[in-house]
Amino acid sequence: MDWSQFDWLINLALSMQLSIAVLVIVSIGLAVVFGMMGIINLAHGEFLMLGAYATLACVRAGINLWLSMGIAAFVVGIFGLVVEQLLIRHLYGRLADSMLATWGLSLIMAQVMVLIFGPSTQGIATPLGSINIGAYSVSGYSFVLIAAAVVLLAIVYWVFTRTPYGVMARAAMQMPGMAAAVGINPKLINAGTFAFGAALAGVGGALLAPLVGVMPSMGQAYIARAFMTVIVGGPGVISGTASSAVLLGGMENVVSYLSTPFFGQGALLVLAIVLLRVLPTGISGRWQRQL
Amino acid sequence: MSRKFMKGALAALLMAASLGAAAADKKPIVVGSILDETGPLNIYGTAMVDATKLAIKQINENGGVLGRQLKLVSYDAQSDNAKYTLYANQLSLKDKAVVIMGGITSASREAVRPVINRNKTLYFYNEQYEGGVCDKNVFATGIVPSQQVAPTVAWAMKNLGKKFYILAADYNYGHISTDWVKKYVAQAAGQVVGSEFIPLDVAEFSSVITKLQEAKPDVVFSLLVGGNHIAFYRQFVASGLRDKMKIVSATFGLGNEQVVLAPEESKDIVAVYPYFQEIDTPANKQFVAMWHKEFGKDYAYITDSAVTVWNGWHLWANAVGKAGSTGREKVIKALESGISFDGPSGTVTIDGPSHHVYQNTHFARANDKHGFTVLGGEKNVPPAFEKKMCDLIKKPNQHTQFLPETK
Amino acid sequence: MMNKNKSRQRFAVEAMGTVAVTAAIAGLAAVISEFQSIQITSWAIYGLLALSLVLVWGHAGIFSFGQGAFFGIGGYAYGVAAINLIGATSETFSAVVIAVAVAAIAAAFLGYFMFYGKVGDVYVGIITLATTLVLFTFMSSTAGPQYHIGEALLGGYNGMTGVPPLSYGTPGEESNAFSPGALLVFTATLAGLVTLGIYGLLRGSFGRVLAGLRENELRTQLLGYDIRFRKLVVFAIGGAIAGLAGALYAAWAMFISPGVFGLQQAALVVIWVLVGGRTSVAGAFVGVVLVDGLASFLGGSGGNATPIILGAVLIGVVLLLPQGLVPAIQAGVGRLFKETKEDKVTAAAETVTEESSRYAGLPVPAGREGGVLEVVDLHKRFGGVTAVEKVTLSFTEKGVHCLIGPNGAGKSTFFNLLVGRYWPTAGTVMFAGKPITRAEAHERVRRGLGIKLQVASIFTGLTTFENVWLAAFGKLHDSAAATGRANKILDWLGLTDRARHQAGALSHGQKQWLEMGMVLASEPSVILLDEPTAGMTREETLLTAELIKELGKSVNVIVVEHDMEFVRHLDVPVTVFHQGNVFAQGSLDELRQDERILDIYLGRGGKAVA
Repeated sequence: MDWSQFDWLINLALSMQLSIAVLVIVSIGLAVVFGMMGIINLAHGEFLMLGAYATLACVRAGINLWLSMGIAAFVVGIFGLVVEQLLIRHLYGRLADSMLATWGLSLIMAQVMVLIFGPSTQGIATPLGSINIGAYSVSGYSFVLIAAAVVLLAIVYWVFTRTPYGVMARAAMQMPGMAAAVGINPKLINAGTFAFGAALAGVGGALLAPLVGVMPSMGQAYIARAFMTVIVGGPGVISGTASSAVLLGGMENVVSYLSTPFFGQGALLVLAIVLLRVLPTGISGRWQRQL
Repeated sequence: MSRKFMKGALAALLMAASLGAAAADKKPIVVGSILDETGPLNIYGTAMVDATKLAIKQINENGGVLGRQLKLVSYDAQSDNAKYTLYANQLSLKDKAVVIMGGITSASREAVRPVINRNKTLYFYNEQYEGGVCDKNVFATGIVPSQQVAPTVAWAMKNLGKKFYILAADYNYGHISTDWVKKYVAQAAGQVVGSEFIPLDVAEFSSVITKLQEAKPDVVFSLLVGGNHIAFYRQFVASGLRDKMKIVSATFGLGNEQVVLAPEESKDIVAVYPYFQEIDTPANKQFVAMWHKEFGKDYAYITDSAVTVWNGWHLWANAVGKAGSTGREKVIKALESGISFDGPSGTVTIDGPSHHVYQNTHFARANDKHGFTVLGGEKNVPPAFEKKMCDLIKKPNQHTQFLPETK
Repeated sequence: MMNKNKSRQRFAVEAMGTVAVTAAIAGLAAVISEFQSIQITSWAIYGLLALSLVLVWGHAGIFSFGQGAFFGIGGYAYGVAAINLIGATSETFSAVVIAVAVAAIAAAFLGYFMFYGKVGDVYVGIITLATTLVLFTFMSSTAGPQYHIGEALLGGYNGMTGVPPLSYGTPGEESNAFSPGALLVFTATLAGLVTLGIYGLLRGSFGRVLAGLRENELRTQLLGYDIRFRKLVVFAIGGAIAGLAGALYAAWAMFISPGVFGLQQAALVVIWVLVGGRTSVAGAFVGVVLVDGLASFLGGSGGNATPIILGAVLIGVVLLLPQGLVPAIQAGVGRLFKETKEDKVTAAAETVTEESSRYAGLPVPAGREGGVLEVVDLHKRFGGVTAVEKVTLSFTEKGVHCLIGPNGAGKSTFFNLLVGRYWPTAGTVMFAGKPITRAEAHERVRRGLGIKLQVASIFTGLTTFENVWLAAFGKLHDSAAATGRANKILDWLGLTDRARHQAGALSHGQKQWLEMGMVLASEPSVILLDEPTAGMTREETLLTAELIKELGKSVNVIVVEHDMEFVRHLDVPVTVFHQGNVFAQGSLDELRQDERILDIYLGRGGKAVA
């Protein structure tokens, strides 16, 4: 294999990993909320948007970009907590109603952002410059995103397996009655889980902010994709999200590269349909693992 | 900003009310506007709504039309095409508007067209588009590809190089404009080494960046549209491609891309429009001052779309003045006679047979102040393709849209 | 029967209401302005679209996010057909018919793909949504002139232009377009007819089966209904109605664009239905008028708070009127008129202990066809765990047979292999000499297996009578005969006085008996019962033993049981499972002599004998 082919291959692999990482980043928060609570949060896209705006506002205020991302996670997490208290807690076990109410919430959030920040797109410059690989050059920020996807998955794994809260949350999900009997307060756990999912969405939006344009309607570009990734992944928050992001993101990127982004997008959707037909409860639906 | 905006709107309303009282003996003329003030398309719609309000206000302050005040009835289509159908009906049947202006996407224009043709109402579409609409009741005042693509290609060939790669939004505008770029590049003996259509909701361009690095063009001709596609410019620079190829665009700036992107990300991108806020003429300075007085000094950027709306209203007002009537047929006749208006970008003149406009175009390069530096321009550029295909004076019963020939 | 008359009465009221509203709107068309006609027409069209979701989701429990897809397909099909045909036929009714057919076929195709692939609940929502978005992406990129069907250019993202309005005429002459008023009359009439059709469908036997499907899919299947086929039919009908709405929309707007396949449109349909009331036919139209009317009004009032107000309304509806508007109003009105004529629900089972011979003779000719259930070399592994290992067993044609064993012995897995919830890794299940190893549950039921799972699986939202009726109808396919049989069975079970009550209000024991009655209604030759007495009181348990013994006189009853007291009471042959194998067989007295069995239960298993 000569050198020019080798750098081509590395570049292609990187661009594929980037597509996969973006899918993981935009869907992990939704996956936590859906997998752990059975709530489909259609305002998830707007949570991402909120994270992006929070980052934007912090950066404009002169705060360091990476610190701003942390603040964004915190802000959106708190916002998630408020939303859970006011709205979501009334909707447990009402899947369709939760979709309707969160859809309403998403309309409100997007328009409130328009009123505060104006409708036009804003943005943060992509940091870190570019890195040369053979004849190709790659954005340094791509590596940040790929690493962030892995770190986010690791954090979710750690939270749900190594912290008392995580163990209780899993117990509450599996047997609500039993969990209550051993003294776990499911209301508290649910509030925590929703806030955690929101904070993950906040980080997701923060990570996207330097990559794309930040605008009030940006959530809509991601919600369908995140939704698809989570459902195709099935109930396993980590195993499901990771495996479906690899399949869907990899598919979209390769097909986009070989033909056009139109077919790439089509391939993603068709693959999602076919996967659900073959594995009716999602990829992780048949596994005996919880995460 | 929104409070200032509300104040401005309130002031306009009060003024209109007091003026209306003064001219109470003459009933106001009802005119209609439909634009997307909410929903995803308000990126474009907000500035166009502002331009509409300001235009009506200015016309009324100058004594109105035929000595009567204009009464604007405006609807927010909420980025939903079905609402365009509904509101167009409402304006022509219920509100009895003598003219309807509006529509942002071509799809919204196509939703309005059958309605106004059935209800026999005059309609202005004030936005850059893919060209070719040929319809007796429709006037299109935006720039079309033959006015925009040909000079851009010529400029790029001269200054940048011969190898072009086209990136276009995957819808009608992008496809048709791509055909134009290919045609003009071939005419100028350049070479198109690749072209790619990107769906409007794609914001992740890593596969495109890879392909660009393989094709190694001199010029990337961008026909990308909308907030998601802004990500391309950012990812392009972040991947270090700026030193290897340059971007020219027929769409950069419409969605305030130069404001959104950091200066180092938009630097060197060249765009072509009739209007840039930086155009250095007395007429434009006066216009910008008036705009800032109305909507505040920190207004993001006055877009070409907003000025096109401004031009549309004034062209219509001039035509009504000439016709001496607001009757549809008389106004169309006056417009077809070659009405013109001296706007912020220079003189805009209706081309009678095609219902499009002659107008100036300007080249500009994005600068380090979130704006553009005007490089030069061409005067009185004709809508060449529309003139060739469409003659509504000889054949008034046409309701169609011409598309460029594909090989 | 009374029940039937009641549903006929309801249908008559609904039909008269529909006709009255339709006539009123059609009459209105003469007086109101052109614009109002146009607006009301759009509501009627969207109402039809919402109605298709009420049918599919509210009444069949299929959560479809894709009604917008069939709406769009109908619209495009109308456009293509009308543009190509109007020159020859001078009318566009044929195009409407074509559009309905195309949408129905598309829905049937997608439905076959999903329901025969056993795609579950939420996932159906996602597949339909993904399909809609695929169509959006695809139609958006058909911009060039090379994308055409006949003379109709698809038009890409800009949409298809030049779509003829609804027109009438005779071939060879000029076609005449409908005026806005005429279009309103036509649309309202069509909407009225479709509404009537849906009311009729829901009040008939098909509607009852649908209700069963919505309430309890598994139970419906275990009554021998091919639920896949029923879902497919409903989904195709829903697609046809959405397609009709789409065709009318394209004719109304004289235009159609891929926007109809967008996420926004897909969600709007769901919103209309939720606001109006998920199960309410009238609610479909009410929801549209409220939501779309509000949006149109706000769009004209010039404020930019439209999305905020809409969002707040949605959240308000979810929190305050979770049933939807129309059912909430109906309940309110009902409360006003009924003057607390409460149906006292006496949930206890005091009337249980009567003469012990109450079950003498079966009310149903069960076991007529006979047939022996046998399994050969049955194996089932889950991942690395072997749950059932090489079991070969043969049952008798009549009589009760108990399967016992400690927890984890494999008896539940074995039972699920018999009923078809799992497919074995290897081996065969035979019934009446034919293999049924991989037959769907409803096929097994049709061949003569009666299945009752451990948790009482009944239609809690339906009346006790309707529960048994559904079971009987699944076998008899005759509404009157099913009514007769249902009454006989209720009588036999001693539940006649509960016939009109919601089954969910029955006591625990009554629910179990009801389900056994439902199993019996399909004339099974073999009845499979999984822990039928779990959670019962002592009296209820004894009575259940009587019932099972009576059943055993005519058919083969296979009981998986934990409760040794109950097994002793039954006094029938027993098979002991241990570690996935048949460990011993014989009468309970014989087995009690076997030290090893005591070991299993007491020594190592540690589980008490109860």
